[in-house]
Amino acid sequence: MNKYLIICLSFFLYSISSFAQSDLVIETSVDSTSIDNSDKLIEDLFSISLSDDELNDDTSASDNISGLLNSSMDVFYRTAAYEFSPSFFKVRGLDSDNANVLINGINMNKMYNGRPQWSNWGGLNDVLRNQELSNGISASIYNFGGILGSSNINIRASEYSQGGRITYSSSNRSYTNRLMATYSSGLNDKGWAYSISMGRRWGNEGYQDASFYDSNSLFVSVEKILNDKHSFNLAAVYAPNRRGKSSPNTQEVYDLQDTRYNEYWGWHDGEKRNSRVKRVVEPIVIFNHYWTIDTSSSLQTNLGFQFGELGNSRLDYGGGANPSPAYYQGLPSYFLADDDGPDYEGAYLAQENFVNNGQIDWNRIYDANLTNNIANVNAAYVLYEDRSDDTQITINSIYQNEFNENISFSSSLNYRKLISDNFAEITDMFGSRTGYLNVDSFDNLQYDLQRPNLVVGNGDIFKYNYTIHADELTAYSKVLFKYDKLDIFLAGSYTNTQYQREGLYDNEANTGNSLGMGEKISFTGYGVKSGLTYKMSGKHIFEFNSAYLQKAPSIRNTFTNSRVNHNVVGSDASGLINNNPITEEKIMAFDANYIFRSSVINGRLTGFYTTIKDANEISFYYADGVIGFQDTREFIQEILQGIDKKYFGLELGIEAQIISSIKLKGAASIGQYTYENNPYLYLGADNNTVPIGSSNLKNYKLAGGPQRAYSVGFEYRDPNYWWMGLTTNFFSNTYVDVSPLTRSQNFYLAQDGLPFSDYNPNIARDLLKQEKFDDYMVVNLIGGKSWKIDDYYIGFFASINNILNQEYKTGGFEQGRNANYHQLLEDVNNPKRVFGSKYWYGRGTNYFLNLYFRF
Amino acid sequence: MKLIKTIILITFLTVANFSCVQDDDFSIPESLGLEENQDLTQLLTQINSGTIDLMTISHVKSLFVDGEVTLIESNIAVKGYVVSSDMTGNFYKEFYMQDEPENPTAGIKVVLNQVDSYNQFNIGREVYIKLQNLYIGETNSGDGVVAIGGSVNQYGDEVEEITENMATSCILRSSNTSAIVPLSLNLSEINDSHIGMFVSAQSVQFPNTLSGLTYVDPYDDYDTQRDLESCVDSGAIKVETSAYASFQDNLLPTQGSGTLSAVVTRSYDGDDRVIMLNSIDDVMFNSSRCDPLFYDNFAGNNLNNWHVKNVQGEQLWETTPYGNPAPSAKMSGFSGGSNPNEDWLITKVIDLSSVTTANLTFQSVVRYNGPALSVHMSTDYNEGDPTSDGNWTELSVTLDTDTNSWSSWTDSGNIDLSSVTGGNLYIAFKYVSTTSGSATYEIDNVLVMGE
Repeated sequence: MNKYLIICLSFFLYSISSFAQSDLVIETSVDSTSIDNSDKLIEDLFSISLSDDELNDDTSASDNISGLLNSSMDVFYRTAAYEFSPSFFKVRGLDSDNANVLINGINMNKMYNGRPQWSNWGGLNDVLRNQELSNGISASIYNFGGILGSSNINIRASEYSQGGRITYSSSNRSYTNRLMATYSSGLNDKGWAYSISMGRRWGNEGYQDASFYDSNSLFVSVEKILNDKHSFNLAAVYAPNRRGKSSPNTQEVYDLQDTRYNEYWGWHDGEKRNSRVKRVVEPIVIFNHYWTIDTSSSLQTNLGFQFGELGNSRLDYGGGANPSPAYYQGLPSYFLADDDGPDYEGAYLAQENFVNNGQIDWNRIYDANLTNNIANVNAAYVLYEDRSDDTQITINSIYQNEFNENISFSSSLNYRKLISDNFAEITDMFGSRTGYLNVDSFDNLQYDLQRPNLVVGNGDIFKYNYTIHADELTAYSKVLFKYDKLDIFLAGSYTNTQYQREGLYDNEANTGNSLGMGEKISFTGYGVKSGLTYKMSGKHIFEFNSAYLQKAPSIRNTFTNSRVNHNVVGSDASGLINNNPITEEKIMAFDANYIFRSSVINGRLTGFYTTIKDANEISFYYADGVIGFQDTREFIQEILQGIDKKYFGLELGIEAQIISSIKLKGAASIGQYTYENNPYLYLGADNNTVPIGSSNLKNYKLAGGPQRAYSVGFEYRDPNYWWMGLTTNFFSNTYVDVSPLTRSQNFYLAQDGLPFSDYNPNIARDLLKQEKFDDYMVVNLIGGKSWKIDDYYIGFFASINNILNQEYKTGGFEQGRNANYHQLLEDVNNPKRVFGSKYWYGRGTNYFLNLYFRF
Repeated sequence: MKLIKTIILITFLTVANFSCVQDDDFSIPESLGLEENQDLTQLLTQINSGTIDLMTISHVKSLFVDGEVTLIESNIAVKGYVVSSDMTGNFYKEFYMQDEPENPTAGIKVVLNQVDSYNQFNIGREVYIKLQNLYIGETNSGDGVVAIGGSVNQYGDEVEEITENMATSCILRSSNTSAIVPLSLNLSEINDSHIGMFVSAQSVQFPNTLSGLTYVDPYDDYDTQRDLESCVDSGAIKVETSAYASFQDNLLPTQGSGTLSAVVTRSYDGDDRVIMLNSIDDVMFNSSRCDPLFYDNFAGNNLNNWHVKNVQGEQLWETTPYGNPAPSAKMSGFSGGSNPNEDWLITKVIDLSSVTTANLTFQSVVRYNGPALSVHMSTDYNEGDPTSDGNWTELSVTLDTDTNSWSSWTDSGNIDLSSVTGGNLYIAFKYVSTTSGSATYEIDNVLVMGE
């Protein structure tokens, strides 16, 4: 019977999973109820999609670690995961590169940006719920981890209990539908166990317009237990996914359209076609050997292999007008800012046009290329993917020894090697038969001098082509002392990281510094962590943790413009820029926790203090009117070097079981996250470097979600297996990401190097004041019910988020134009800002519905 | 249990049917061009039935009133063939069209708020413009270039761009793209009637003095005008190039001569007639340079290129602050009355040793009565007294005969010197006056070309 079902399901899922997809967060189901763990019926009720907010992972604003936290038992972390994450809330203000995700001991954080690529294993919730979580500063037995902790997802086949589960979900958040099926065999007499899981998530449109979702997932894990000492596990995770991205927009655009507006799509024969699609196909294969040496020691050896493709598509318009429907020259503000005074007629026409046709005109794009076929000139437009095809191999051994009941020790040695091929590949020629010219249309310089004026077509590489070689060797040890009243741990790690760029194109603007192997860059990282837990009584526990880390910057924060040259932060082809070479980041973190446990109330209060020093940030944009470059219109890199940041605050989580059916919950995070110094700023464009000097960022707030968040709510659990919960969440102190360039002397100096004669410090102060977004409140409702029929369980739950349909900004950034006092003042004084900040809005009322069947 | 199983399977199968999302396989939209075709079909029907009058470009240009902007209220349309391209960025938010792909009789400018319009209105494309509610005027008042625009500026004297929205409904393409055959002209033949046409200037070159310079002077913010000169006549025109043109940094091809095909228009301020390139591919200088063997336009206000020989009389050949353009060389035997004179203006030696054909042109104007000027040549003159030195052959030339006007400058016609190539040559202008008559002659732009 079961087998019959599985076979049917397998066949069915296979037949529909022909395509790829993309979901960005691990969605684990959690037993959050914990009132009655023995009651299997109400297990797994939480299976909420936190999902796709990491979609916009090009920006730091949306980068959070909710995917890590939702399996936590801690009320604060659970609240952060379920209630705060749609607001881009970041635990302790920190990015997800401060947390580690491991699968069977293999580190899944990408070397490119240090962050976990959640979509690599999306849609496999059922098999990823065995997680060993170490929150905060604490160190796990597997690795040193960051200062937000780490999570090891255990996918050993023998650890899954026998049985199956089928889940269907419906939502209007990211995907519309989700189907998942899992079956685990349990361990048989011959020492074999297997687990398989398949999933598909899809939808034509999420909350944002045309943000389609197409994701398949396949998981297989097989374990053979040879004997008491040895066991082998082989697992594969394959989760190809594709997603339509959505754009940040200026307030003008949101006002003319609405908060679902997305400029990336247009109608293609009656179908919404998104021009920016993120595609991730990065299968993972993991092989583990578990060796129980004796009763007190063990050695685990893990081999991980990941390969595949990551692509982000976009339009290139070397021979055509900018296809963006929200291009600033087509918006009313541009006409109102006319030099000859406001052009009301033009503004009106622009408004009509944008409101009625504010999407990409695919027909015009095709027409342009077909017209160029007739004229026998090269294509005007192409669609291409920015590709990053990684091949990574990881090997490590983890040794554990419990010397006695008080002292345990673990140690690991880890090596990983990454070969990352980066290039742009044409994916649609839009009907062109004449090909596309591999030349930069802005300055008519060759992308590749080795083959000048190359005409490229579908499937060809163009624009840029390079490989990053990265090697990382890590040694790690941890010792834990455990006594009745006191636990102490000490951990240390040493890491050597090397990066090397290999240019495959000889970029004309960077020739001599572009082709071939660049210099090998080497970083030495080390870290120490220590922690002390004082168990005053069963009710009162005090915990103190501290960490100091020196770690290599990620690849992304090392190379300033790896697409075209070998430059790394702090230097260019002619040497050091500010006499300050690139260095490791230094992170210092401390937290103090008070944990209270009683039969009625559980709670935790934490104070934390973190500093990050010598961080780098690189931004890319087209700038108009930046001083110091040959052309006024340049694609520039803005490099901030040596950033110091400070994070401190309080976390509180508390829950009270006032009667057996009602639980009250509360959580709060009150932080202050700021820039702590005035880092050095310089600009780069190809082989040119323009030193700017320090950017006066000190005391500006760090962007990225609300710095204060509060939640109160309750859960009601009826003895008849239904339950509901209501939470109210408050968010405040969310700030826009400030542009460093306008906080530099570039802002007030004229071209002769003297301050503008009409510079008014009071006006300037107003202009440069950091925008703080409005406070807001979000109310979420959740409820569910389950039944037991024979030996089967069936259940559902539904959640409605933001039931008051509160409109709120989750993040935003100042545009990098208007780099000086005059330009900014002029823009601000326009009837409508032409280059105002771009924002993300949170979702209005949205729902998630989950049905499952377990056998 | 059977029930549950059935429900689940049905659910799965149902959702599977709705599981198609955007894939990668997009082809050319079927709706492409449908609307434009419909609009064009409708327009052609209306033209056939007479509800819309199809006008020629000449007619539309005739609606222009100097210094004004004219709103087209009647239901008329115009057809043309695109001759300009903004692919290189030399044209910006405009295109030119002429009435026929070959042997055009009129051209007109169309201004629209659209960049990279070349990928829609490609060269040779047959375009219909519904003119009702559009405007005829100049984009820069007084520049002399008639344009079709979409609105009028605040002063009412210039047309502004047709918006993109408007353009989709009033500028309709047919499916025809014709090969544009450039109108072959010598530079002196180009005049304002050619504005808006694609012409091919024959046997032209950039002056040697522009050697090493680029199409656009890097110090010019907007555009640069470069002189273009003719190998075959005394005509000249300026090549205007925008600072946004992709070929702005290219060196002028001063090492050769040949044909240059471009659109005739007038400069921004209207002062000069200029020619604007679509692409430097249209500059085909495959012949060697055609620098004159002798040339003097007297711009230096001196006669340094000449031997001034006085045979009789006090008056001499001299330069004068008049000419075509000023200055020029002048001789008059009148001084308080007519005086007897014989004065020769003889070129310095002209080397014809390396050419097999040669040609003389100049221009003259005459006033007052007196003996006619004569023009002579000699191959054996030794720069002495021309009455005794050298054998002189009189040349058959056309001279001005209108003695009542200073503005009747007259081309000499092409005077073939091929019979005397292979060695040195002198050209002489011999002036004679008597007590009974002394005309005043001015000559200018004396040019000897050879190949």
